[in-house]
Amino acid sequence: MKTCDVLIIGAGSIGLPLSYYLARRHLRVIVIEKMPSVGRGQNRAAIGGIRATHSDPAKIAICHRTINIMRNFQTEFGYDIDWISGGYLFPIYDETNEKAFKKLIEYQKAFDLNINWISPAEIEPLAPGINPENLRGGSYSPEDGSASPLKVADAYYLLAKANGVSFHFNEEVTGFSLANDQIISVHTNQNSYAAGIVVNAAGAEAREIGQMVNLDLPVYPDSHEGGITEPVQRFFEPMIVDVRPDSQSSNYYFYQNREGQVVFCITPNPKIPGKDRDSTSYFLPLVIKRMLALYPRLRHIRIRRIWRGLYPMTPDGFPIVSFCREIKNLLLAIGMCGQGFMIGPGLGEMLAEVIADQSHAYDSIFQQLTLYRQFTGQELLK
Amino acid sequence: MSRITQHPILSIPKNRKTVKFTFNGRELEGIAGEPVASALIAQNITEFAIHPKGDTPQGLFCANGQCAHCTLIIDGIPQKSCVTPLQEGMQIQTLYHLPQIPDDRRPLHKVECPEFSCDVLVIGGGPSGLTATIELAQLGFKVILVDDKPQLGGKLLLQTHKFFGSIEDCYAGMRGIEIARQLDQAVRQLSKVTILTDTFVVGIYKDRKAGLFVHNKNYYLVSFEGLIVTPGAREKSLIFQGNHLPGVVGAGAFQTLVNRDLIRACQRVFIVGSGNVGLIAAYHALQAGIQVAGICDILPEVTGYQVHADKIKRMGVPLFLNHTILATEGQHKVEKVTIAAVNRDFQPILETAQSFAVDMLLIAVGLTPIDEFYEIARQFGFKVVKAGDADEIAEASSAMFGGRIAGLQMAKLLGHAVEIDEQFYQKAAILKSKPGKTYPREQVTLTEKFRPVIRCAQEIPCNPCTAVCPVHAIQLKPVQNNILDIPEYSGGCSGCMLCVLICPGLAITLARKIDEQFAEVVLPFEFIPDFAVGDFVPLTDWDGNFLEKGEVLRIRYNKKYLTYLIQVKTSLKNGTAVAGIQVQDSNQIKALPEPSFEYLPENGIVCHCELVTVKEIVDFIRKHDVRDVNQLKLIRVGMGACGGKNCLALLPRLFKEAGVDWQTVVPGTHRPLTVEVPMAAIINEDFEE
Repeated sequence: MKTCDVLIIGAGSIGLPLSYYLARRHLRVIVIEKMPSVGRGQNRAAIGGIRATHSDPAKIAICHRTINIMRNFQTEFGYDIDWISGGYLFPIYDETNEKAFKKLIEYQKAFDLNINWISPAEIEPLAPGINPENLRGGSYSPEDGSASPLKVADAYYLLAKANGVSFHFNEEVTGFSLANDQIISVHTNQNSYAAGIVVNAAGAEAREIGQMVNLDLPVYPDSHEGGITEPVQRFFEPMIVDVRPDSQSSNYYFYQNREGQVVFCITPNPKIPGKDRDSTSYFLPLVIKRMLALYPRLRHIRIRRIWRGLYPMTPDGFPIVSFCREIKNLLLAIGMCGQGFMIGPGLGEMLAEVIADQSHAYDSIFQQLTLYRQFTGQELLK
Repeated sequence: MSRITQHPILSIPKNRKTVKFTFNGRELEGIAGEPVASALIAQNITEFAIHPKGDTPQGLFCANGQCAHCTLIIDGIPQKSCVTPLQEGMQIQTLYHLPQIPDDRRPLHKVECPEFSCDVLVIGGGPSGLTATIELAQLGFKVILVDDKPQLGGKLLLQTHKFFGSIEDCYAGMRGIEIARQLDQAVRQLSKVTILTDTFVVGIYKDRKAGLFVHNKNYYLVSFEGLIVTPGAREKSLIFQGNHLPGVVGAGAFQTLVNRDLIRACQRVFIVGSGNVGLIAAYHALQAGIQVAGICDILPEVTGYQVHADKIKRMGVPLFLNHTILATEGQHKVEKVTIAAVNRDFQPILETAQSFAVDMLLIAVGLTPIDEFYEIARQFGFKVVKAGDADEIAEASSAMFGGRIAGLQMAKLLGHAVEIDEQFYQKAAILKSKPGKTYPREQVTLTEKFRPVIRCAQEIPCNPCTAVCPVHAIQLKPVQNNILDIPEYSGGCSGCMLCVLICPGLAITLARKIDEQFAEVVLPFEFIPDFAVGDFVPLTDWDGNFLEKGEVLRIRYNKKYLTYLIQVKTSLKNGTAVAGIQVQDSNQIKALPEPSFEYLPENGIVCHCELVTVKEIVDFIRKHDVRDVNQLKLIRVGMGACGGKNCLALLPRLFKEAGVDWQTVVPGTHRPLTVEVPMAAIINEDFEE
């Protein structure tokens, strides 16, 4: 039986930064991953956008922290993670959304977020050639940005390893032994472990892990498809999010990464529940017709690859970050609703403070994300 | 470089329409509709792009639309020049680093997403795809046949040589180009078949549809009940220093330039690999008027058919067995290649290095099946059958058989009561056979009557000489009792010369004694003779050794077989030994007086799209304890335009070099699209219509 202070299930967007920040605080950390390497769950499918401009205090605080980490990553750690401070742009073409976004901006500004309503004339230089017809303006947050999920995962992996985190790949959790409302050991198909705290950071598999301790965790993956183009010279800056729905989809978004490749993704409507990650024929025509209507200049770019990733959704669209009442040493960091990549680093740092330093600085934030909330609200900007 | 104006086998179309275009502002002329890449190479332009990594020159690589090395800025838009037809007034520019996309603000023009359906989608209109299609259509199935080239026939279209095999089963003795023509005609007569050429299958989707990229500008979806996967093979890549230079190409790209587009792709070529592909490419080069400085192979023996190798040697091409390539060098393209002998561990012995001045290096080190479509369809639980090289690398003769079997298997899967003849499997297996035993050649004594002298001494699946003989004077000597057996002459030759004409290996001469001093020999010759009756020509023995100069007595041309018959007078002692006429002067292709090279194999490129070297990959595997090929994406391996088509097959060797057992490594993931598609094509925006 191997022992450690914290055992993390899942070497993904959440587990990797957390493992590093815990190890940096001199805790002994073991990470169990059923895939052969890091980030092989949904991290690899992530688009790469990182914004603090959410519509709730918890995600604003967490992602704000992530942005600070990303911005200084290369200086602090020496790894280039392809951070671009390109901002987020929500171009708005109708009155209803204009009203909604202006209201949201007021809310966001109260958190000191750098976000403003900008005019069509201000949008044009950010995305030259964007469809000007009926463009009313948009919400723009220049400090948001993007990074490479692949590079961030790898950097945290190397940092964690260098700080003594022990990674166990190709190992699947098969069950837990409980005593006195505590996990006393974690069993995998290869080994058993004893840990002070066990973290469920299993992404799309979070519910299955919960079932092993008779917890019905409300995390239900649905699938989204994404794509990437050939690299071309940079010609637009921000992540562009079009929130207008059509008959088969709600929003879609795209940006140009540091390689010059346009990365894009769409939210299907109705949702496609389940874990199927095989590409379908309807994705490309659906997303491309919308992208070209918004931004005709994209038409000459060649699409290189498409894939499908899972959004581990909760009923209200907010993550679950919570110690369990039923099992005292089980910490949940699950249900990231497709935002694990932007939540992970900030959350990892905060949770490490909570675990290692018994910090109560974030109590109100985590109260919002507790497992024991009603799940009746609805995230505005998913 | 220039265009081929005469060719012994291929007819050169007359009065082709020429068009004017510019390259970097320079006004040039090309042939309407030919690939832009070919038009440029005909003008001696080989450097198409400058890769951002190290300002590295890039040129044509696959000539097949599969990679993106030949991307140029054509009328302001980055396009693959090997699949873009040349048009009047095109403005073409070198692609420097990343392309700038045009500031095209025209609003979205239209959105169309045409969908088609069929019983069976056949991917690949080569020998196996065509025969599978014919079988299925004859049984009444609705077939959509897709091929990425402008013409059906696959690699048959590039094969100017005669085929091995048997006449009744697979057109033996006929040239590939002619087989392609016949199969094309046959398939076009079938009303149940829809043919889409210039069409790439870019994705097989979970909802049982395929995405097709059509004519470089459209995207169709096709739903199907069953899928036949016959896209053929891709050429294996080879790692050596300088393997990224323009002028380093696969044999397929070379044959495409020379035999399809009729471009003299270079002045002098060196070939790595002595399999049938390399040997035949050498032959094609010579026929196109290109010098062949040599063929090297790391193995001690020729891996292709012996008859092919001997044919090449007789033409005057040196074979360097137990030799490997050390490097190609050049400023903007290949100017020099250096090879060296290898020791028993296949390591180069640098002291034996020889350099050759060449302007092209051909890589012909084997093929790997293109079976991704098959694998993905199988994972999705679709009804799928594969055939041809996509199933197993073998000759086109067996592919044609395999295609028929695949067609019938699919019919069965779709519930059609059909019995597949057991003989089909046996025949297909024989046609797939690798070359077998080599026997000593028969000792022949000449008389005053013509008789065939047969040099075919290696077991290969081939028998047209026996079928074509009107007096049944040639039979297979029964050992295995199949067409692998060796032919032998049993007497009674009528002197009709059909065996000389049909033999794909050019392994039969007709000879007779004139008197006690002289003999006369009839030789098959697939070059345009640069000699006349009465001239003396250099004659070689079977293995290419010079024997004597012999007088040309008669030159005949057979239109059906597109072959010359050269009748020469030789000394009687050489009458049975004379087997060929040297076409290449060995003095012209000698090694440079002093070899000069840097040997830095770790600088060899593995991922050509992103220019990732051996060293970068091996170091990364070590540093990151890589056990999952997907991890290599961090250094962009497999992230380029081709999606890992070239590099993934090379990885086992690199893991080994890094001290990792390949068996413990998780392979990479294949995802659509297999070929890049412009966004406008996806919705068939098409402004021109």
